[in-house]
Amino acid sequence: MSVCWSCERDAGDGVTCGQCGALLPPRASETYFQVLGLPMQFAVDVKQTEERFRELSRLVHPDKFAKADPRARKASLQRSVQLNEAWRTLKDPVRRAMYLLKLCGYDVAAEAGASAPGEAPGEVRRLPVSPVLLGDILELREALGDARAAGDRAKVATLAADVRERIGVSMRAVEAGFASALDREPDAARSAAQSKALDVVAGELIAVRYYNRFLEEVPEDAVEVTSTVGGVA
Amino acid sequence: MAEGLFQISEPGESRAKSACAPGTTGAIGIDLGTTNSLVAALRNGRPEVLLDDDGAAIVPSVVHYPPPSPSASGASPEVDPAIVGVLARDLLAQKFPTDTIASVKRFMGRGPEDAEAKRALTPYRFAPGDAKDPVVRFSVAGGTRAVTPVEVSAEILRVLRERAEAALGAPLGGAVITVPAYFDDGQRQATRDAGRLAGLEVLRLLNEPTAAALAYGLDKQAEGTFAVFDLGGGTFDISILKLEAGVFEVKSTGGDSALGGDDFDRAIAEHFLARLQLTGGDPSLARRALDAARAAKEALTERESIALTWKRPDGTTTQLTLTRDEMEALVRPTLERCATPARRALKDAELSASDLSGVILVGGATRMPLVRRFVAQLFGREPLADIDPDQVVALGAAVQADMLAGGSANPNVVLLDVVPLSLGLELMGGMVEKVIHRNSTVPCGATQTFTTYADNQTGFDLHVVQGEREMVSDCRSLARFKLTGIPPMPAGVARLEITFLVDADGILRVTAREETTGIETAVNVKPTYGLSDEEVERMLLDSFAHAEEDVKARLLTEQRIEADRIAHAARAAMLASPDLLTDEDRQNIGAAIERLEQAKAGVDHQAIRRLIEALDHASKDFAGRRMNRAIEEGLRGRSVGDVEAEVDKSAPELDLKARLERAGHIGHSHD
Repeated sequence: MSVCWSCERDAGDGVTCGQCGALLPPRASETYFQVLGLPMQFAVDVKQTEERFRELSRLVHPDKFAKADPRARKASLQRSVQLNEAWRTLKDPVRRAMYLLKLCGYDVAAEAGASAPGEAPGEVRRLPVSPVLLGDILELREALGDARAAGDRAKVATLAADVRERIGVSMRAVEAGFASALDREPDAARSAAQSKALDVVAGELIAVRYYNRFLEEVPEDAVEVTSTVGGVA
Repeated sequence: MAEGLFQISEPGESRAKSACAPGTTGAIGIDLGTTNSLVAALRNGRPEVLLDDDGAAIVPSVVHYPPPSPSASGASPEVDPAIVGVLARDLLAQKFPTDTIASVKRFMGRGPEDAEAKRALTPYRFAPGDAKDPVVRFSVAGGTRAVTPVEVSAEILRVLRERAEAALGAPLGGAVITVPAYFDDGQRQATRDAGRLAGLEVLRLLNEPTAAALAYGLDKQAEGTFAVFDLGGGTFDISILKLEAGVFEVKSTGGDSALGGDDFDRAIAEHFLARLQLTGGDPSLARRALDAARAAKEALTERESIALTWKRPDGTTTQLTLTRDEMEALVRPTLERCATPARRALKDAELSASDLSGVILVGGATRMPLVRRFVAQLFGREPLADIDPDQVVALGAAVQADMLAGGSANPNVVLLDVVPLSLGLELMGGMVEKVIHRNSTVPCGATQTFTTYADNQTGFDLHVVQGEREMVSDCRSLARFKLTGIPPMPAGVARLEITFLVDADGILRVTAREETTGIETAVNVKPTYGLSDEEVERMLLDSFAHAEEDVKARLLTEQRIEADRIAHAARAAMLASPDLLTDEDRQNIGAAIERLEQAKAGVDHQAIRRLIEALDHASKDFAGRRMNRAIEEGLRGRSVGDVEAEVDKSAPELDLKARLERAGHIGHSHD
């Protein structure tokens, strides 16, 4: 039972206190799927989820608490941070897949372990990167380097299109893998086949990460975009 | 949070004590612009710009610090208060270029090593920097004072606060101040500090394009995805927003916080100086050239060509002409710098130009035909021009201020804004690890874990940076701080958890925690450019202590300056057109001047004011005759002053009364 900071009665487990309606701080154990009221699966109705995000934003945004009690303001800030991050993560298929895989106990992010809410402590499964993938990536990068050095914009565009196509193929495999791996009762143990499906998903997501890095190298325009900070060129 | 000082009175209580009309929150929206500033509030559920006694909406963002007056009148404080607005812009900037700061916004959150402080063509003098305190300081008041951009901005905000208090009643219900979307953390901190220093309860910093979209969207009931192209005096912003069912969601933003109409002026001014074979090291020359350039640019919005006369100190003159085509060729390279951020903002929003429902123009510079053509070409459609690009930002800020203060005019509206620039930490080797990515919806936060790289390392040096580049040296440094006291451990054992939290103002707070020991440290990322709470408190207490004296002294200084100007103008007019004077005129005007000069030596600003009016009255017929002659003579031998006068149609140089009425009320609403 959680006690409401405002009325000191049983608050329930909603966004607001079931008794007095005060905004409650988020619970650390809540997953982003729970925040947005979604089942823990890869398939998401993005349009409907966006509406849910907006509805919740109206409820928790700091603008609605600018002159409220400091505890309500703090809860609003924390809720909004959590909600925004949940929506940012789940609206994008790649981020959503990585997050979902993380909830399943895998780590495919090379970035120094950003810990996700709801992550099972201890057992984190990391897969080695396939040598075939590394070979492919090296080849692609060389081709991109040559094309850029030669000023061959058509070739650059073809390479980028090829890599986008590969991402599409990988993401379809990710979708299929999640569909079979997560098709079980919530508390049932994972079968061998399901674990294998998740390994496949993890392998594909590692590939997508490399492909996305590659796309970052492709210039957006004829002119190389160099961002400026406050006008310092 | 940084508002310790204002928690003396609880936010909710200040409203209860408010003297505002029932049904209004007394909260205001402020557009603190590079060139002009405005204040707006909700009246009868609709946002309105608050006017001064003469019906002027705009306060020019120009602040003059008078040199210490030799005729110390005993009662006046040690430093003369600043003069803000039209008088400072039209009169004092030319006479005292180094003591009169225009475009202070370009220096907000900037150090002496920034490009902005290192320009060749500048009317300002900078005080020598202190190594520990990398804030730009202007040397003003005849070199007797050094003021920071925060203090200068606070003077402008104070004038707006006084105007709002006169219109709505004091105390106000808080303020929303707008900032360019592309302002970085240091620039935002500086703006917030300026608001606090001006005695405002800053409810929120709001991005200018978002404010514009809010006002536009509510007014036009617009739905869809819009680009806001905001080119002001000193900053350029581009934001892509989705407007749907009361939710104003920023999809992406981009820009350049040092690109605006001022840069057009500079290009034109440099062209004039080159034609005159002058070089711009001298502040007064720079000021004159920039003013001539601004007047020429504005005049060329309506005309195809202009001619102006440049007067040299030795009395010789040179005729300069400029066509619109020539002017456009001068400013085009600067304008084209808008294209890359605009394209990138579209790409970040995962949209193409054809997906947009419309392009909204904001900022004075978007009045230029060249800018409109450029925007039309860039987005493949004509921009929407059915709003006042000067007022829309303040109106949107007023709507937001009312919502934050608990007003009920727009209960379903919510703004979802973004971080303009990625925030990160320096890693070994000078690389940047991005912790929060640009265009993340605020408020937002992220935690990353790091470890030690050496055995027995007992502290971490943390360097927080903002920007999109890979290397620290290419990003803006926001803060450096230390986490110390970690017990000796082998390399890689300590777990340092660093949390970035960006609040709804876009201001960053960083906390660092070593997990194995629980040692923790937190910073508001502001030590480099902002003021400490103690500094703000001291400065505020000082200003409260001197508030009444300051107002009186400012009124006195203003009236003295105005008296000088009017007396000088009257004498000059008598010398220039003796044939238009009757003997009676000569006697009456002469006597009025003499009485005015006597009053000027005293400390009664109202007496000076009355005698200014008397002089005006005495010279009315004479001024009218001069005016008629000037009209008959047409536009022969136009001077820079005439060009300006024509642009600002309400202020023909010869019409003393109109000038007086405008100048007499500048910057305050007391009498």
